Amino acid sequence: MARIDLEHVSMKFGDFYAVNNINLTIEDGEYVTILGPSGCGKTTLIKTVSGILRPTEGKVLFDGRDVTDVPLEDRDNAYVFQNIALFSNMTNRENAEYSPRVHDIPIPEKRKVAEKYLELVDMLSRAEMFPQELSGGEQQKVAIARALSSGSKTLMLDEPLSALDARVRMELRYEIRRLVKELGITVLHVTHDQEEAMSVSDKIVLMKSGKVHDTASPRDMYDNPKSIFAAYFIGDTNLLEGFIYGRTKKGYTVVHLRGGPFVKAEISNLKQGSPVVISVRPENVHVATDGLGAEVKAKAFLGAYWSIRVLADTGDYINYNISDNFDTPEIGDRVMLVFNKKRTKVFKRPENGLEEAIKLE
Amino acid sequence: MPEIRLEDVVKTFEGGVVAVNHLDLNVKDGEYMCLLGPTGAGKTTVLKMICGLVCPDSGKVLLDGKNISNIPISRRGTALMSQNYALFPKMTVYENVMFSPSIKNWDPADAKTLVRSMIEMVHMGPKVDNMPHEMSGGQMQRTALARALASNSRVLLLDEPLRALDARLRLEIRKEIKSMVKDMDLTSVHVTHDQEEAMEIADRIAVIRKGRIIQVGTPMDIFCNPKTPFVANFVGRSNVFTGKLVSSSEESSEILLDSGHKVLARSTDLSPGTDVAVAVKIGYVISKIHKEGESLPEWYMEGTVSRVLYEGGTITIELDVKGLGIVTCRRSSKRYDDYKKGKKVSVIWVPSKAVVFSIPECGLEEELRLD
Repeated sequence: MARIDLEHVSMKFGDFYAVNNINLTIEDGEYVTILGPSGCGKTTLIKTVSGILRPTEGKVLFDGRDVTDVPLEDRDNAYVFQNIALFSNMTNRENAEYSPRVHDIPIPEKRKVAEKYLELVDMLSRAEMFPQELSGGEQQKVAIARALSSGSKTLMLDEPLSALDARVRMELRYEIRRLVKELGITVLHVTHDQEEAMSVSDKIVLMKSGKVHDTASPRDMYDNPKSIFAAYFIGDTNLLEGFIYGRTKKGYTVVHLRGGPFVKAEISNLKQGSPVVISVRPENVHVATDGLGAEVKAKAFLGAYWSIRVLADTGDYINYNISDNFDTPEIGDRVMLVFNKKRTKVFKRPENGLEEAIKLE
Repeated sequence: MPEIRLEDVVKTFEGGVVAVNHLDLNVKDGEYMCLLGPTGAGKTTVLKMICGLVCPDSGKVLLDGKNISNIPISRRGTALMSQNYALFPKMTVYENVMFSPSIKNWDPADAKTLVRSMIEMVHMGPKVDNMPHEMSGGQMQRTALARALASNSRVLLLDEPLRALDARLRLEIRKEIKSMVKDMDLTSVHVTHDQEEAMEIADRIAVIRKGRIIQVGTPMDIFCNPKTPFVANFVGRSNVFTGKLVSSSEESSEILLDSGHKVLARSTDLSPGTDVAVAVKIGYVISKIHKEGESLPEWYMEGTVSRVLYEGGTITIELDVKGLGIVTCRRSSKRYDDYKKGKKVSVIWVPSKAVVFSIPECGLEEELRLD
């Protein structure tokens, strides 16, 4: 069993709340990612969970036991850092043997444990090499093996992929998820990269300004975000302002966009005349013979599909995707766009304006 | 008319590390070139040779056809945004960006407008009076980018300009940076390890590895017609299988994989009997759920869904094909509910989407290493 609970956890530096009243449960074997922009408090939060920082308020519980005052070294918790931090004077094997050694495990067993984890991360063949002889991605794998060889059932990953090349990052995130699921480990992972968060997690905790903004499975957060900020942060989306005009017979919302055009959006209970923001992702915008007029401004081939950027008659830039099996429009062409209405989200326009709602810092 | 040419340049560092190994590169006037490669490929060294921070051991650096290999940095007219930003620590954001316009004695009104618009583009408007020590890494990087853009150089050299930014902000700035640079009519070389970034921004991409350029082409060309298995897998993920070439005709070639599966691929000049690698982009693998009575194509492989990863707009599906191992496939996330673990599917691709290579001398595993 390895369940983590946070109860009203806050971390105050001077007068500033880096982390502000957080309640969170990470179930046994669950993979939870804390996602948020720079300065949202995510790193501070993982430090309070792991014991590097003692929260100024609230409690941290491991399997129901209050560990708020238990020092870092007495918590059974594996930790992987962003900057890798392997011992450069030790071979990879010695690095992986480090945790068992600190835990006073007899030598033959220590070897076996280290080898087991090096094998799990596919690094056993490089066990006798030194970390600096490995590439960044390989070093991070050894660091993960070292962390896990402590036998701990909880793993803290603090931006574990940020220092790596994009392509290596992609491979390693699949690898990490496979590994921890195989071992049934409870994971808390911190990242600013929404793609990474989506592909590894069971649950995403989106943080903003020290608070939990939204908690959902990757799929729910992407398909049914509960706020404009969540819709914007979790992936590419087009945000357009307008007013509620009415409803179709089936209950879909009709939105009057800036400059006149009408579009249909999901079913909502917002009143006629309410100022709203609609959010539609690029893959849910399609070219049709009628619809919102726009002029093509740029296009980029992104591998198996094209991303087209247009300036719509509403004055907004809109991005949409088309498969590379189809012809693409030329820059300067006029196109008509329709949105997949079921996948067009409607939000009340925030009082402080759209810009403020999606501010990243 | 800034056109950049590197001819057979070599640079060896102390200790015998060959950073750049007989490299040729041609960046056309007004072009946005991305130099894409893994860490340690020699990307930064190439950039430093263009701006004059590093002198090549041999070979030539030409600007508009003129050999500038021995011309000092100050007279090359290039602007470099380095990886470590190098902001003036005692100046605010505004003063840093204003530096170049002020030492070049521009018209103050013009300079002010330009500097303001650069600062807005990199989303630093609210922090215009901050000092570097008050900024996060990402903010420093954005300031450095604005400063480089405001220098009025005709050649812009960007060394991993988006590396320290949050992923979400990177997506935004990626879209803006190219149109900005294009509007200013600059010739640009942008170094990155991020293939998605290169695809979105570049007019042409030069893939670099171990100090050499492996392939130069438009993003589409590099993606669809990779020259080596490494390029096939580095720029967009590929499934790579090994086997023997059976035959090749005008339309397609036939390969007998080591697993015993017979597959079709793009036609090739290699002779039958050659040991080959077949690369298929994960987005081009077609996986279909079996339906009763549905006719299947002439050749296909049978797979079982072993894992489905949700990635937002797309899902990545890992299919276990008996004897062959995991075949990865990417589809729209609207199909998420179709793929349950254990489900049987057929695995196939359009032959022209699979590229055939001879096995590289260094071995396939070494060839495909990502870093």
